Amino acid sequence: MQRAIEEAGIPTVIIAALPPVVRQTGTPRASAPLVPMGANAGEPNNIQMQTDIVKATLELLETIQTPGKIVPLPYEYHAKV
Amino acid sequence: MSLTVVKGMQSEIFVPITPPSVWTPVTKELKDMSIALATAAGVHKKEQERFNLAGDFTWRKIENTTPSSDLMVSHGGYDNGDVNKDINCMFPIDRIHELAKAGFIRACAPVHAGFMGGGGDQDKFKHQTGPEIAQMFKEEDVDAVMMTAG
Repeated sequence: MQRAIEEAGIPTVIIAALPPVVRQTGTPRASAPLVPMGANAGEPNNIQMQTDIVKATLELLETIQTPGKIVPLPYEYHAKV
Repeated sequence: MSLTVVKGMQSEIFVPITPPSVWTPVTKELKDMSIALATAAGVHKKEQERFNLAGDFTWRKIENTTPSSDLMVSHGGYDNGDVNKDINCMFPIDRIHELAKAGFIRACAPVHAGFMGGGGDQDKFKHQTGPEIAQMFKEEDVDAVMMTAG
């Protein structure tokens, strides 16, 4: 999907809970906070964390200059299951 | 001298090959961009048809005016517990609304896209679903797309 949108000429960035997977699929730009699958944008109802992750991810649109870069983000959330 | 004895020989074990990235350069600053969301998390409006949990290559259009309380998830491939509590975990629509209001980005795109990743007909995703969603974003003059998946 990310490839299809880039092919159409629109830049993309993805928030990945599983960085090796997006590396495998050839992501152009990705952020990787320490989150479980299902809460990529951060802990439920934690507005501060979600805002920080979204802002940091969007900023990568401006800062990543090399295709395939995955930037770890210093936000951590463990789902209580 | 060449050490290759048999040309074109490859492993008989399936090994996924990482394709080169497709790359569109960014030409604007964030504060001048219209941002859309696209998620593989199976997000859609409550009134829309649910995804087939066994694999589904269709997608749902989500208008930017949709209140987050009108959204839900149908996806069989991950624990939906968090996203059922707060859709913003996978589809941070309230967060991008706040960022647009604060001027961090110029605007939220008028439309966003939800689909169900983690399986399904990959050929359809690549040649049908992907280009359809990309086309919608093109028509709406979207400057960049933030995705959640993987």
